[in-house]
Amino acid sequence: MIVVDEYLAVRVVGGRWPEGLPDDEDLVLPAARHWRLLQRIHAPGDGQLSGLLATLSTTDRDTIRFPHPEVLGVADPRPLLDEAARLAARYGGTGWLTGETLAAGLTYGRALWFGTQRNVGRLLASAADDLGIAVHVVT
Amino acid sequence: MEEMAVVDVSEERRRRRRAGDPRLSAAGQEVLARITTGDLADEFQAALDADLEADPILGGHHHDAA
Repeated sequence: MIVVDEYLAVRVVGGRWPEGLPDDEDLVLPAARHWRLLQRIHAPGDGQLSGLLATLSTTDRDTIRFPHPEVLGVADPRPLLDEAARLAARYGGTGWLTGETLAAGLTYGRALWFGTQRNVGRLLASAADDLGIAVHVVT
Repeated sequence: MEEMAVVDVSEERRRRRRAGDPRLSAAGQEVLARITTGDLADEFQAALDADLEADPILGGHHHDAA
């Protein structure tokens, strides 16, 4: 399993495979990160992004809501939850997003893949380094 | 005896994975590209960051921006 962030998930769903992202294993998006994508669909703001997403057909929106299993999986949060809570406490109350992402990294190959450096976060980068989890950014 | 075609399952899975979601329209592909690598990437990142600020369970006590 290759753990990816929201950027890589959306790019892969859209058929624009990033150069440098391995393609020999299934991709998995942590549930908390899927939650953030779902916020764009179900709780839109008033910006251009929300306006554009509102123009998508129901079928197009479903590719984000319910990713095609041959393209992108969403990690079951239940087996990761205890480890996520432990890591969140260890690194100063990081919250579910960072805790679960780190737990997924530990569980699936000690690696995390992001589509932009801006989406890594300082706390996550520091904790990943401490835990021996490689953080890759492919753009 | 009839010959059987040999299909490389792993290669076929790789091809389908790289092709993206077959349900997505061409217009949808363009929208997703604008969000992740185009003119809306900044707004997309701002929205993701705002989720962490708005929800302490999701974002924790310390906002983890890059």
